[in-house]
Amino acid sequence: METSTEPAHKPDPGPTLLDVSDISLRFGGVQAITGVSFTVNHGELFAVIGPNGAGKTSIFNCINGVYRPQEGSIRLDGTQLVGLASRRTAELGVARTFQNLGLFTNLDIIDNLMLGRHHLMRTGFIAGALWWGRAKREEIENRAKVEQIIDLLELGPYRRKPVGMLPYGIQKRIELGRALAMEPRLLLLDEPVAGMNLEETEDMARYILEVRASLGLTMIMVEHDMHVVMDLADRVMAVDFGVMLTTGTPAEVQQDQKVIDAYLGKAS
Amino acid sequence: MARRSPYLITDYRSDLRLFGSNWKRFGLLLMVVAFIGAPLQLDNFWLGLLGLVAVYAIGGIGLNLLTGYAGQVSLGHAFFLGVGAYSAAWFGGQQGWPMLLWLPAAALIGAAMGALVGPIALRLSGQYLAIVTLGLLFIGEHFMVQWKAVTGGTRGTSVNADLAIGPVDFANLELFGITFTRNQGLFWLLWGVVALVALMAKNIARTRPGRALQAIRDRDVAAEIIGVSLSRYKVAVFALSSGIAAVAGGFYGAAVQQFVSPVEFGGIQGLVFSITFIAVIIVGGMGTISGGIVGALVVGALPRITQRFADYLPFLKSTPNDSGIILVGQFNLMLFGALIIVFLLAEPLGLAALWRRITTYFKAWPFSY
Repeated sequence: METSTEPAHKPDPGPTLLDVSDISLRFGGVQAITGVSFTVNHGELFAVIGPNGAGKTSIFNCINGVYRPQEGSIRLDGTQLVGLASRRTAELGVARTFQNLGLFTNLDIIDNLMLGRHHLMRTGFIAGALWWGRAKREEIENRAKVEQIIDLLELGPYRRKPVGMLPYGIQKRIELGRALAMEPRLLLLDEPVAGMNLEETEDMARYILEVRASLGLTMIMVEHDMHVVMDLADRVMAVDFGVMLTTGTPAEVQQDQKVIDAYLGKAS
Repeated sequence: MARRSPYLITDYRSDLRLFGSNWKRFGLLLMVVAFIGAPLQLDNFWLGLLGLVAVYAIGGIGLNLLTGYAGQVSLGHAFFLGVGAYSAAWFGGQQGWPMLLWLPAAALIGAAMGALVGPIALRLSGQYLAIVTLGLLFIGEHFMVQWKAVTGGTRGTSVNADLAIGPVDFANLELFGITFTRNQGLFWLLWGVVALVALMAKNIARTRPGRALQAIRDRDVAAEIIGVSLSRYKVAVFALSSGIAAVAGGFYGAAVQQFVSPVEFGGIQGLVFSITFIAVIIVGGMGTISGGIVGALVVGALPRITQRFADYLPFLKSTPNDSGIILVGQFNLMLFGALIIVFLLAEPLGLAALWRRITTYFKAWPFSY
């Protein structure tokens, strides 16, 4: 069983980290994803775009085990992810943020980030109750790692505040922090700048770039803000109605007639 | 060289201290003084009452881990206290086991029963879970009445269990040639256990398992995605909470009542008993360990106090034949109900939150935030 994962520290745009091959997902009669395939390389920032209901978040949910696609395979460094519980995919190094925030609102930033390290820690009920020994050592070690992330994302001033009381832009950043605390190999960002004003958007874009530069993390981003997508992403995949339209560099995708049609409707 | 500010924390070790500030250390000192001194100062009535409060505190801490931390509602808490009380009666009383054996046995049986209920919480939540746990009280009542060999049936059974740790018998305490009364000795025993349970629960709450429980309470889907096993933690917290309840029940039977009967732990009275514990954590503060103790002081003390002073309150009557409008017992039930409603409306996180608000106010003074 593979439990501890180290982030790839240098961007290595060579071999494939994630290989999604021909996945299809149905809910009863509704076809959410149809035969979508793509690969993400080590160190790459891969963006998924598409109109509302195109199946972008469903693709994320397939990768981290929330949904189980009926067909196709998803391999992370060769390990099959289809059929694994999301808890297991987390242990294998898949972390994600949520479109509508999935923070633990009554806990402070430190506890939220420490929870990101849950799968890297071992203290159980008995060791925890005794405190002295492993629990204390583990708390201190992991706290130090969490504080590094708090520094990186400049969350210091809010450390001890219940996160539910913090502004939306900060909460989005805490989500990113919690995902980073998981020491993932693959980070899934579900609309990291949705609902943000220009300033918050630029802040978030800066943090994503900083995370990339300092940790060399491989990321997949679902986003509607085309400026952010075009500026940050190495490659972009466009989907509509659960079908892949095209994959390519931001410039290529922008020019693609199918993408333009999907967003603006066909000229008739 | 400038003197270091006492508020400046420079390493994680000191940040993680439970009693980190001077104020908190002072508070700890006060508690220790109260712990040692109370039995020497208080009369028998108050000591007996505080013994009951200690049982409420232990049970309240257990329920708070389940409801306050993990967010799982339970109306069956009294059932697990009953399991503990009958375990004390059987292993401690009938079999004559020493306390250091019957108490862990009671805790383990309670925990095992709780672990059986746990899987239900994987399927149900909120009021549905509450109804299922309510069912426990009626199933429990049936067993308590029917399993006569162990329980003594409807009439119940007296509990004559050992309350000694090695040579120190708390029921007949003799230290340094001084003989203490039963209530004095039991105060030290019970509140010692409260301190121990509170410390262990606090340690669980502030480490990995406790954070996992709170994550499940706040957002279970996100918890699963970051690697928290819902099934493992839900079953574990039911086991833990029930085990602690059984310890409380064991002391309730062996130390406080010296008697168990199915009337208290099963059926409607069991429900009232369960709701008492819900009142304890709501008044004290959900999701805090100290809340369980503070809530127990309020909820445990109120009924006995109204009973004692019933003669002075014209609308209360101690027996049906007295003058007055309402019986003390019924009045107490209404009082619990009123407490729960008032706290849920005015201070949903209980006295602990109120205390936090007051201390924050004085810390920030003269600024308002």
